[in-house]
Amino acid sequence: MRRLVLAVAAILTALLLQVDVVNRLHLPGGHPDLVLLVVVSLALVGGPAYGAVAGFAAGFAADILPPADHTIGRLAFVYALVGYGAGMLEDAEERSVFAAVAVVALSSVASVLIFAGVGALLGDARISASVVGHALAAAVIYDVVLAPFIVPLVSGAARRAEPVTTY
Amino acid sequence: MRDNGGRARVILALLLLTAFTLVTLDYRSGGGGPLRRIGNAVFGPIENAAAAVAEPIGSFFSSLGHLSSYKHDNDKLRKQVQDLRQQLRLTDAERAHLASMEKLLHLDQTAQFRVVAARITAVGSSLGFESTATIDIGSNSGIQPDQTVINGDGLVGKTLSVGPNTSTVLLGSDVNFHAGARIEGSEEIGHVDGGGRRPMTFTLLDSQGDIQVGSRLVTFGDIGNRPFVPEVPIGHVTSVQPANGALTRSAVVAPYVRFSTVDIVGVVVATPHPPKRDSLLPPKPTPTPSSPSTPATPAASVTTTPTTKTH
Repeated sequence: MRRLVLAVAAILTALLLQVDVVNRLHLPGGHPDLVLLVVVSLALVGGPAYGAVAGFAAGFAADILPPADHTIGRLAFVYALVGYGAGMLEDAEERSVFAAVAVVALSSVASVLIFAGVGALLGDARISASVVGHALAAAVIYDVVLAPFIVPLVSGAARRAEPVTTY
Repeated sequence: MRDNGGRARVILALLLLTAFTLVTLDYRSGGGGPLRRIGNAVFGPIENAAAAVAEPIGSFFSSLGHLSSYKHDNDKLRKQVQDLRQQLRLTDAERAHLASMEKLLHLDQTAQFRVVAARITAVGSSLGFESTATIDIGSNSGIQPDQTVINGDGLVGKTLSVGPNTSTVLLGSDVNFHAGARIEGSEEIGHVDGGGRRPMTFTLLDSQGDIQVGSRLVTFGDIGNRPFVPEVPIGHVTSVQPANGALTRSAVVAPYVRFSTVDIVGVVVATPHPPKRDSLLPPKPTPTPSSPSTPATPAASVTTTPTTKTH
């Protein structure tokens, strides 16, 4: 229960920080994806099922949060997949921060490519090779830079919120 | 732990199916479904509050990159204020002269748009390529979808979806942004299109038409002035593609509005009198050996109605 509250709070905070602060900084090249970082952090603690659900919820919220203007469901799709994938690498961040950063980098690349792929299938005019290339480079760099700060924070809080049950 | 693998896969499959269904439904409905309105209604007030809190933090971080230029800008601005104060004295006298002339000739005044002022609270989405922004007014202030959004420099964009207290604006830099445009002082018309990361382009519908570097563009209003009212300055042409026998001609436009720093905007809710042609563009800059300078804020008379936000 406490982990649920924490997850909801973390996702909401990431969403609002993303559109109200981070996107308005107009960082060169692109911007980090705070929602992805939170989803990956939660998935690393909770496992693949938990990661998929958290990703879906976060993605759906990101789809309807103004001022998003893409087809609703795309981010839900992307983050559910990425959450599942990160969850399969469960507990990676317990081994070392480097492992967590590697998971974030992989998830970042996967999220941009899957989002662009779904967009291309839907005929989204905003998708083009150069745009995706730019976004890929920027996303990976910014997410990797922020990962060592955010992943331990959210994963640690998620771990503490619920006692670990071993089977 | 072994059993959880299968369970997780089933959950993932269900979620992906749901997401796919959402995508299909929203895609087929053309993006006008109720979910966006719900998003606006639910998240809008939270975004407004968060923006109020986050604004000083954000501007602190972005100012860190500009500290050295701030002092320089400061000194420049002080000088400009002095010059403008001088100019105001002259312009007041000119305006009085013009007003009496107008009374004699019964001329219409320059455009009086009914504009509701707003501030941008949020931009873009976490993972996406759209150039959109949220403003802090909505249907409670009389905003509707497909209305022109402007600021002191020119055309900012148009409203997309509207909630009770927030609205989504499509910025002129978005790839899906298209607006009818006209070259100042002529009948040549075409459309401007946002380019995303690339510059804005203008497509002239008559490939033999007269277009040159420095031509200034204004909006060519739509039927019923929705989504675009006429005569709003858009930008000036910086380069023209050579005429190569095609049906249309393309040019690159430098917009007057800097979309990355736009903060205060106004939504045009009514145009009681149609504005005179080219009346909202500032006076043409005197030709200098260097390239034409970007004009100062246009001398339009804009009446702003007070926002009807309830606290």
